[in-house]
Amino acid sequence: MPNPSFMNGVPELLILRTLEGGEMYGYELVQAIRLKTNQAIKIGEGVVYPALHALESEGMLRSRRKLVNGRTRVYYALTRKGEKHLAGLVRHWQHITDAIGLAIGGTAHAML
Amino acid sequence: MPCFDRLSERLLFGGIAPRHVRRYVRELSDHFDDLMREEKANGATRELAETRALSRLGSEEDLAQAMLSRPGLKSVTARFPWAVFGLGPLALLALSVLGAVYLEIWLLDHTGPVFRLFHIMGPSLASARTATKLYTIYNSLIVFGGPLLFAWLFYWIGSRQRMSANWIMLGVALVSVLGGFQNLIFYDTGCAGCGHLLIQSAFIPPFPHFAEGLARAAMNLAIAGGAWWLLVRRKTPATMTLSYPAQT
Repeated sequence: MPNPSFMNGVPELLILRTLEGGEMYGYELVQAIRLKTNQAIKIGEGVVYPALHALESEGMLRSRRKLVNGRTRVYYALTRKGEKHLAGLVRHWQHITDAIGLAIGGTAHAML
Repeated sequence: MPCFDRLSERLLFGGIAPRHVRRYVRELSDHFDDLMREEKANGATRELAETRALSRLGSEEDLAQAMLSRPGLKSVTARFPWAVFGLGPLALLALSVLGAVYLEIWLLDHTGPVFRLFHIMGPSLASARTATKLYTIYNSLIVFGGPLLFAWLFYWIGSRQRMSANWIMLGVALVSVLGGFQNLIFYDTGCAGCGHLLIQSAFIPPFPHFAEGLARAAMNLAIAGGAWWLLVRRKTPATMTLSYPAQT
């Protein structure tokens, strides 16, 4: 997806959806997103962190440091506010993908 | 291991809060290590693994833009420099005087009974002189040390956010000058409850302490300016130049 404006909100949606399964650190999260999207969306892996910081500042995520194999990792987890925001985002994107599916002549299908 | 110093400086100059920059750089370093491990496990040589890991992490431009495009990650100092360096000195000096006076009154209320409990000094002329001396030391520390401490604080806040020298100078100058014009005086006359605590400002008409305030403001400015000059001289070699324009 080369159009940046079309990608607005996509990283947030993917991050929140992936963290729904439990807390993760950055690298783990990026690999999970790659698997989930079948590597269809390719972005620099490092750019996930500004999104994580922003979501945490907005109260959607919380973070904690954890010592794993002698290294301190920052683990991110979904908050209650994040869960509500995710539900809204999923509904919104579901609506858009359904509409686009109809417009291009296919059938509407569930996203994520 | 890639060096993120240039990225870090660029983000700080762009107004991103130092705590976010520090954490971002640490997370990127950890992510790079994980990618290297993954690429090596997949059979890549060290050089190839490093090239692939850097490519997957993203270019410096992408990494910087991803952070700079989020205004929520900017610090209060970068967003409202006029408030931090313009109003901050006024608020900090007022709060420090109020806090110091509040603590002094609390100490005056509580140290008398303590002294009497241990029979160290009762309400006498000798104890009044001692109390006056002790509280004069306390007041001097507040009045002389406070503005210099705050000047250092504004220098520290501004320099860690790579703010323009003009903003830092404004904060340091305001706190040094205004701090010089305030004074706290205590004297005890020897009878219980006869202590006097005075808050003076050299700005109050008919300005009896203006010359004294002016001298202290000049002294504060000279000390703060001298310390700054020494710090800048020690930190910046003559050949070093800034790669990015400072924030205005």
